[in-house]
Amino acid sequence: MGDYREVQAGSKPFKRAYIAVMLWFVGRAIQAAARVDKAVREEFEKLPEGFTFSLGVQPHGPYMIVGKNQKGRVKYLGWKPESKVVDLRMAIKNIEAALLLFTFQESTAISICRDRIDFDGDLPPALTVIRAIGIVEVYLLPKLISKLAIKRYPVWSFGRKYLGRIRIYFHSILGY
Amino acid sequence: MRIQDYYEFIARVRIVSGHDVLEKIPDELKKIGATKPLIVTDKGVSGVGLVDVLKNALGEKITIAKIVDDVPQDSDIRIVQRLAKEYREVGCDCLIALGGGSVLDTAKGINIMVSEGVNDLMKFTGKGVVKKALKPLIAIPTTAGTGSEMTQAAVIEDHEKKLKKLFVSPFISPDIAVLDSRMTLTLPTAITAATAMDAMAHAVEAYTCLGKNPMSDTCALTAIKLIRENLLTVMKSPDDKNGRLALANAATLAGMAFSNSLPGVVHSLGHSVGSVCGVPHGVCMAILLPYGLEYNLHKNEQLTAELLLPLGGEEEFVKTPKHLRAERTIYFIRKLNQDLHDVSDHRHARFFKEVLDREGKRMVPRERLPEIAQAALGDGTVIYNPEDLDLDDFLMIIEASWEGVPLDRSRIKKG
Repeated sequence: MGDYREVQAGSKPFKRAYIAVMLWFVGRAIQAAARVDKAVREEFEKLPEGFTFSLGVQPHGPYMIVGKNQKGRVKYLGWKPESKVVDLRMAIKNIEAALLLFTFQESTAISICRDRIDFDGDLPPALTVIRAIGIVEVYLLPKLISKLAIKRYPVWSFGRKYLGRIRIYFHSILGY
Repeated sequence: MRIQDYYEFIARVRIVSGHDVLEKIPDELKKIGATKPLIVTDKGVSGVGLVDVLKNALGEKITIAKIVDDVPQDSDIRIVQRLAKEYREVGCDCLIALGGGSVLDTAKGINIMVSEGVNDLMKFTGKGVVKKALKPLIAIPTTAGTGSEMTQAAVIEDHEKKLKKLFVSPFISPDIAVLDSRMTLTLPTAITAATAMDAMAHAVEAYTCLGKNPMSDTCALTAIKLIRENLLTVMKSPDDKNGRLALANAATLAGMAFSNSLPGVVHSLGHSVGSVCGVPHGVCMAILLPYGLEYNLHKNEQLTAELLLPLGGEEEFVKTPKHLRAERTIYFIRKLNQDLHDVSDHRHARFFKEVLDREGKRMVPRERLPEIAQAALGDGTVIYNPEDLDLDDFLMIIEASWEGVPLDRSRIKKG
């Protein structure tokens, strides 16, 4: 018999770094959108105070954690899920699946249909979070790309779309 | 034909189908090493004598440990816990579920508890939490509709907390599904119609929603064809054993299809009408199916058109110009509902304002439509629908289906 060495999966540092940056920015953009956009704010109003969710990649991350504090404010809570009580965990099964999602080769819905994301938590809040992320994607991405990420591109007023986009980018970069 | 880049499909249930196949159960149990079944059923099923048919079929070859027939209309956590306790006390080693979706879901819940050796079923809610093989479970459906005998899921309600909990795992599905034509012979015509339309909705949505794949497509198309060929015949001649068996097979095929590809808006709204107003699931499916197809038509014209072949037959498919086939498919679904309405002495409802309870009162009051639309937003099947839906979209569909008018397509948002 030949001598077989164990093959370790590559750590894929560049792909991991890209996903980490995307999650970091999307997390901060969700926080910003909850302040700027009425529809995102209304989605989060449906969630209980103190509700926290995470979106990340199995098994070793990266992650983003977003929560609603006791005052009802939505906050980006960082990238370390350890030591945090998370009500809803959304875990993409591996880094390649995450890459398909975050390079918009697959929409969020298709990614879920293809069983690439595990959900641990109640379903209605998960759908609320997915709807909110969909709105955030419309703000962050040009129409050509965001049409790949969501099912239906919304018809928004000029003010909502462009002023909202500027405000959300501004708040996301500054982190408040 | 386009193949999906990626899909998963599982169908691990052994199917035994025929006119007198209950008699095969002792041999099937022997093969899987089980001897003392707990038979789970409901009062309706035992009331029409189906438990006696099963007992006679099992004969002396099997010692029935116990028969319980008090499963409610919606499976409930308390009854699951009580029956799991009885299973252990009597020393059973397998389960036979005789009934519709509620009975099958109850049996699946009992099986999780007794196999995992726990007293709290809620530890196993969610997807993939059950990770090991369970005790043998034989499913004998007595309605041809839910397809629950093929699914990897169970929905069990916690009535105290008013929550429906979902359990999903490939290990939850039954080991064997026994489709015996005697089991659906006594089904009243209105229920035959509603349950068959439930199977039709499973098949149509499996074929047209985002989770579709070539395996589920094949099951879905055959299911639709079987329903088209047999439903009206069975409605006119309820004793038609071949027709009954064909419908049972259609429901199982549709169950196999939607269990793997998952449905869309018809089910999102159907679940909500069921939970808000208590309308039977099959009735909701029959009413909502043409509206779901209409709503998604701009995204799904090709797939909807393809359904004309199993739904309308070869001659209809060939003579209809290609660009009109999708519309014709919707027409045929509406026509089937109308035919069922006529042949069932108007007991099969075509729209929600026609759905009446036993006292003749409307089950879906118009003022509750916003509540139904709101509930649909939280239903997981909305993800699998090809077109997005917000509150206004749900409200538009439920209002039209309540009134019985086609959708105003100029109001459908396209992005």
